[in-house]
Amino acid sequence: MAERHSFGVNPITCHAWNRDRTQVALSPNNHEVHIYQRADNDWKLVDVLNQHDLRVTGIDWAPKTNRIVTCAVDRNAYVWTQGDDGKWKPTLVLLRINRAATCVKWSPLENKFAVGSGARLISVCYFESENDWWVSKHIKKPIHSTITSIDWHPNNVLLVAGSADFKVRVFSAFIKDIEEMPQPSPWGMKMSLGQLLAEFPNSSGGGGWVHSVAFSGDGNRVCWVGHDSSVSVADATSQMAVSKLRTEFLPFLSCVWVGPSSLVAAGHSCCPMLYSINESGQLYLNCKLDVSQKKEAGGLSAMRKFQSLDRQARIETSDTTLETVHQNAITCLCLYKGGKGSASSVSTSGLDGQLVIWDLQVVVIVVVQVPLIFVTVSLLPTYTSYAK
Amino acid sequence: MAANPLQPYLNAIRRTLEAALCIRNFPSEDVERHNKPEIEVQDSTNNLIGKPLIISRSPLERTLIESSINSVRISVKIKQVDDVDAVITKMYMRFLTQRADQFRILRRKPIEGYTISFLITSIHCEEMILSKLIDWIIQFMYDIDKELSDMKITLSKRARVVAEEYMKQLL
Amino acid sequence: MILLEINNRIVEETLTLKFKNALAGHKPESIDITIADFDGVLFHISNVGGDKTKVRTSISLKFYKELQEHGADELLKKEYGSLLTQVEDGYNVSVLIDLENVPQNWEEIVKKIGLLKRNCFASVFEKYFDFQERGEEGHKRAVINYRNDETMYVEAKADRVTVVFSTIFKDEDDIVIGKVFMQEFKEGRRASHTAPQVLFSHREPPLELQNTDARVGENIGYITFVLFPRHTNRTTRDNTINLIHIFRDYLHYHIKCSKAYIHSRMRAKTSDFLKVLNRARPEPKNVEKKTITLVYVVFFHQT
Repeated sequence: MAERHSFGVNPITCHAWNRDRTQVALSPNNHEVHIYQRADNDWKLVDVLNQHDLRVTGIDWAPKTNRIVTCAVDRNAYVWTQGDDGKWKPTLVLLRINRAATCVKWSPLENKFAVGSGARLISVCYFESENDWWVSKHIKKPIHSTITSIDWHPNNVLLVAGSADFKVRVFSAFIKDIEEMPQPSPWGMKMSLGQLLAEFPNSSGGGGWVHSVAFSGDGNRVCWVGHDSSVSVADATSQMAVSKLRTEFLPFLSCVWVGPSSLVAAGHSCCPMLYSINESGQLYLNCKLDVSQKKEAGGLSAMRKFQSLDRQARIETSDTTLETVHQNAITCLCLYKGGKGSASSVSTSGLDGQLVIWDLQVVVIVVVQVPLIFVTVSLLPTYTSYAK
Repeated sequence: MAANPLQPYLNAIRRTLEAALCIRNFPSEDVERHNKPEIEVQDSTNNLIGKPLIISRSPLERTLIESSINSVRISVKIKQVDDVDAVITKMYMRFLTQRADQFRILRRKPIEGYTISFLITSIHCEEMILSKLIDWIIQFMYDIDKELSDMKITLSKRARVVAEEYMKQLL
Repeated sequence: MILLEINNRIVEETLTLKFKNALAGHKPESIDITIADFDGVLFHISNVGGDKTKVRTSISLKFYKELQEHGADELLKKEYGSLLTQVEDGYNVSVLIDLENVPQNWEEIVKKIGLLKRNCFASVFEKYFDFQERGEEGHKRAVINYRNDETMYVEAKADRVTVVFSTIFKDEDDIVIGKVFMQEFKEGRRASHTAPQVLFSHREPPLELQNTDARVGENIGYITFVLFPRHTNRTTRDNTINLIHIFRDYLHYHIKCSKAYIHSRMRAKTSDFLKVLNRARPEPKNVEKKTITLVYVVFFHQT
């Protein structure tokens, strides 16, 4: 089941939900962030966060502390807090970067956040109470290109970053001023800020921009998607073994974990896909979340379709809508219900201005000629065993 | 209906474009607050450019597709067998490139060795439906081919009629 | 219309109107108009000495002096006789009609005046056609600079008259399109076996003009017509002159038309291309921010 919400023809750069999913913050591909309140089947614009002066690139909404952090091409990040009147007030963050900020993520404890940037560095930001402002420390080495995506380990210290230099790296983002040394993790013992704990090339040949990265719910695995249409998972508990699946689809732009061994990836193919990991640690395509079938355009016979294909080398003459729900690339993927360990729905947004909520509980009807037997299978994790 | 001999060529271009046009909005790493088509920046040190690809139908007819993280350049060499082809093609391309603003994705100057070049950036992909954009490019290539050969035929037909009418009068 | 008219239609129409008004008894009105024709030729129709009943038509040809060398004056005297009048300043030939005495054959006179340009040209052809007819060889070749940088050469042999035009193509496109046309002219004998032989050379003059001051250049073309007695004899020569003297304009006119056609076709197709491209932009729909719930059903066919 999918719920489709349209927010006009402008692309949605990215979106983020509040804790109870009654509100969504999204950027209509410009310098603004719009906050919508859900009202039955409609959306009410309740606030416009208008502080950036260039295109917003990242939004994250901290569920517990109810703070929004945004970053943009204007090299700035703002932390937004809600006033008594319900309106959002910005506080500037000192990112100290000289190129566009590209992505932002709150840490699990919500006392820090990280901002990736085109300045080939990551700003780890925290609140300095003496001065009453948000300051940042930089992780620079050995990043060679723009950071495209970041995600936090559940221990609030490790950070995974994907970059246009074809690499995925796990760093320590430990800020000794505000937190205690964490317990050692399978990723390594050294915890000083900026310590590189692991580095994975997207491919052995060295190519493929990394578009999205994510830590698993238990923090032991990272997954990423690369421009070579691949999905990869690295496991810290098995000597950093990497399972890479080269898919037949167009490259993915975003990925999230939805179960201990399952993740959803979406991107240029416009269709979110569920990938799972089997017992031997290998990735495989579990199923497509979007199983819509193209409506046959009125009266377009197979013959005509053939002729038009022949004549114009195109799929369709008049009707160029895609078979999928999304009509253009999906650029953002968020958990909607449940956490990384057991999500039951995810939301996607993309260049077509749509926000779609995908239910991971899929109704499967098994047809054994006659009679029909209706079987409801919860996709995760039982679907895995059912499929085999 | 006779199969279009161009079709395998156009199909190959379509498939390549579908893959090449997987581009994303990507702010410049060189200049702050800028967003430049990386394929035009051509900085080989920044890893943002893909391997160029040439789809060739014959020595006279080929398409160069150069991709980068946020932009794709498509250059087409249109078949020109003789001077007449060259003149008609030149006139046509001049006419089109003078209207590059309206076409948005048309490059004012083609890449050397090609007849016409398009530059598609992530901004174009955001304002246009990508599948329709690809359809348009393929349709354009098909139509321009047909259009040029039609014009050539019309020109030589006209020349023949003009000459014959004159010579018939000269008894 | 494919063939160009050799008469000047505006001159004819203007004079016809004058005669008709006079015949209908209307009071004549004053006139003063200048008409441009091919090859830089100018016509001037005006009243003489303020007398509205006396209408003078004058023609100016930049190369009239050259035509005079080949007997233009004599030919015009023969053709126009008493119509000829004192030559207007700045013009080469003037003819006068009197609206107070409209002659019976006024329509014929109008036609004749319309053909002034053709008849000026005719002298040189007549002369060399006569040489050929009489089998006289060795006469100096006639050189008529009928336009700036464009020249016509006429030469007579016992069995033929050769007419060579040099012509300038404005740009490369014209050269290429011109070549397409010339190729067809060369092959024009296929359409008519009796047609003269046509030769075309680009950049350099044909053999017979080599070692003369004939120009050489990228944008120059030479067209040679080899006219046989069949074309130059008394019964066909008028027709031949009509066609030959207009050849250069005919060729360039059709080169221009071809380019105009290509342009209009390009314009139409380009606007087509734009329309289709604009369809790739999503239309803002009225139904915004609406929620649509889709229920998907996956079918498994158990085998």
